[in-house]
Amino acid sequence: MSQILANKPAPDITGLQDADWQNRLNQIASDPRMTEENTTLSSASARKVALPLIGIGIVGLVLTIIGAFSVNLRHALGAFEIGVFTALAISLGSLFWVMVFHSLNASWSITLRRQFENIASMIWVPTIMIIIVAAIEIFQGGVLLQWLNHSEEYNHLLEVKKPYLNANFFIVRIIIYAVAWILISRLLLGWSKKTDESGDRYYGRKARKLAGFAIPVFAFTTTFAAFDFLMSLDYRFFSTMWGVYYFASCGLASVSAVAIVATMLRRAGKLDGLVTEEHYHDLGKLVFAFTVFWAYISFSQYFLIWYSNIPEETAWYTNRQQYGWQWLFVVMTIGHFVLPFLLLIWRKIKRTPVLLCSMSVYMLLMVVMDMTWIIRPMVDIQSSAVESASNAGVFGIVLDIAGVVGVLGIFAGLVALKVAKSPLLPIKDPMLHESMKHKNYV
Amino acid sequence: MSMIKEMMTTAADYFPMLLRKQAPKFVTESGNPVYGIVAEFDETPKVFKAAAQVRDAGYSKWDVHTPFPIHDMEEAMGIKTTKLPLMAGGAALTGLCIAVVLQWGTTDILYPTVVQGKPFEAWQPFVPIMFELAILCTAFMCIFGMLALNGLPRWHHPLFSHERFYRVGNDRFFISIESTDPNFDPIKTKQLLEKAGGTDITLVEDVK
Repeated sequence: MSQILANKPAPDITGLQDADWQNRLNQIASDPRMTEENTTLSSASARKVALPLIGIGIVGLVLTIIGAFSVNLRHALGAFEIGVFTALAISLGSLFWVMVFHSLNASWSITLRRQFENIASMIWVPTIMIIIVAAIEIFQGGVLLQWLNHSEEYNHLLEVKKPYLNANFFIVRIIIYAVAWILISRLLLGWSKKTDESGDRYYGRKARKLAGFAIPVFAFTTTFAAFDFLMSLDYRFFSTMWGVYYFASCGLASVSAVAIVATMLRRAGKLDGLVTEEHYHDLGKLVFAFTVFWAYISFSQYFLIWYSNIPEETAWYTNRQQYGWQWLFVVMTIGHFVLPFLLLIWRKIKRTPVLLCSMSVYMLLMVVMDMTWIIRPMVDIQSSAVESASNAGVFGIVLDIAGVVGVLGIFAGLVALKVAKSPLLPIKDPMLHESMKHKNYV
Repeated sequence: MSMIKEMMTTAADYFPMLLRKQAPKFVTESGNPVYGIVAEFDETPKVFKAAAQVRDAGYSKWDVHTPFPIHDMEEAMGIKTTKLPLMAGGAALTGLCIAVVLQWGTTDILYPTVVQGKPFEAWQPFVPIMFELAILCTAFMCIFGMLALNGLPRWHHPLFSHERFYRVGNDRFFISIESTDPNFDPIKTKQLLEKAGGTDITLVEDVK
């Protein structure tokens, strides 16, 4: 008896033998849905989607650069930042979801996880763009970020915040963000791809360990990045809820983006039977949850500031409700919360791919409007009377759209190219079979 | 129409002093009304397949009793989604309206009150109450609506007069078809359950 036990290899930490895992992999590989055709996208068909998007993106960015010289730099930079922070929200949120899936050992999401990983690993695009934004701000001595402007007369608030809001520390922080985001997302995608080749489940355990430590890193970097670029647009303003406010957009935008990518893949005849309406149901629940979460967070922030009535806080809202941006307040309350709440609460909408995809496109538009609500009014408020007179033309509106479409077009195009580079799902994940038969029992 | 009848029956269960129950359709020799027919199964796949057969035979007032939850049983039984979410949504709207009327009505219309120098028509302070009252009404509707729909709590169930039924907590599966079902027929229903593979098929009385 003891001889038999000694010959048997010790089970690993999950209590399963190597042979058990091998059986699972064989079971997954022999599934009729796991064909080469169903799980890979040819780069030719990816290029068919990606090249027009990148083309539109380049046109948008060229228009933005023309606008920066012909209209004014502040307006162009504002429009560009709206796009950049939407793209950053999409990829940061995807990074967050990948880490959450790993650390919670989530099985329902495995057929969708590769798309989250793809979008997360494209975080270098918005990261390079925020470095460009920061470089312009620093070399121009404060375009939208007035606290970088040294020529201003003595200002007590600015003086008090100097230890945090100064150019040197700003550069250090941006380097930390860039390294952290790119490193984490590359590692997670890399290990996932290595599992595709070898079927070695220890990469998954590594990813799980990393995710546990990286979630706090993500939380701090996201919060402080939101402070640095969005909250400090008005250096007098402060809100402890700001990091969470931006994070709510991250969670929402990324799930919406993945729903769109999954729908496009299904329309191309891929992932048939692997991403089902059950997965859409769960994605829809997350879109719904983050719509409500965003509303809860943003109303709490607004409500406390409205009630306490402290001048430097209230100014943020009064600025946005007096200079022609009142309509955005209605868009935020009705368009970003009431309407999607009433629509997404229906089970049918969450479970129908086409309907959920349309809702996701709409929610991404709302995230863009949210960024507009944060960034765009500051352009007008900080511009002098002469400059804002030049904004009023049609080209001002064209510039706003060009900046956003430019960034998002290039980002979406690069994501589409990335999707074709690896199988559309982690084909040798040891838990894949659970995701393949995933079902909502409610 | 059948829904009203059903509600009346439920009400008669709870308030026998107010409503008289309809005369039972089937009565045993001892004079007790028939509750229904119970069939016993000893394996999960058997009860699962039998449930599908009962569903296809067009029965509506019947149930499967198992020691543990069985996945996809709701499909095998043909159970439709509950109306509870709609009821809860209605309750939420009601709560929202009550909050709006009580707050605007009192502090803006009936007796305009200055609070912290905020405008009378300010909507911001009312939002938390609107939210809370909507949630409260939803929660109440979820609990009490659920109880009303499934007929709980109750003192006793006729199935407990069937001695073998107690094994449902241990190692047996049961299908019970109630006599109030329009398709119910003591002989045909019994034949159906026999064909579906049930054993120990028993007529259960509603003992008073």
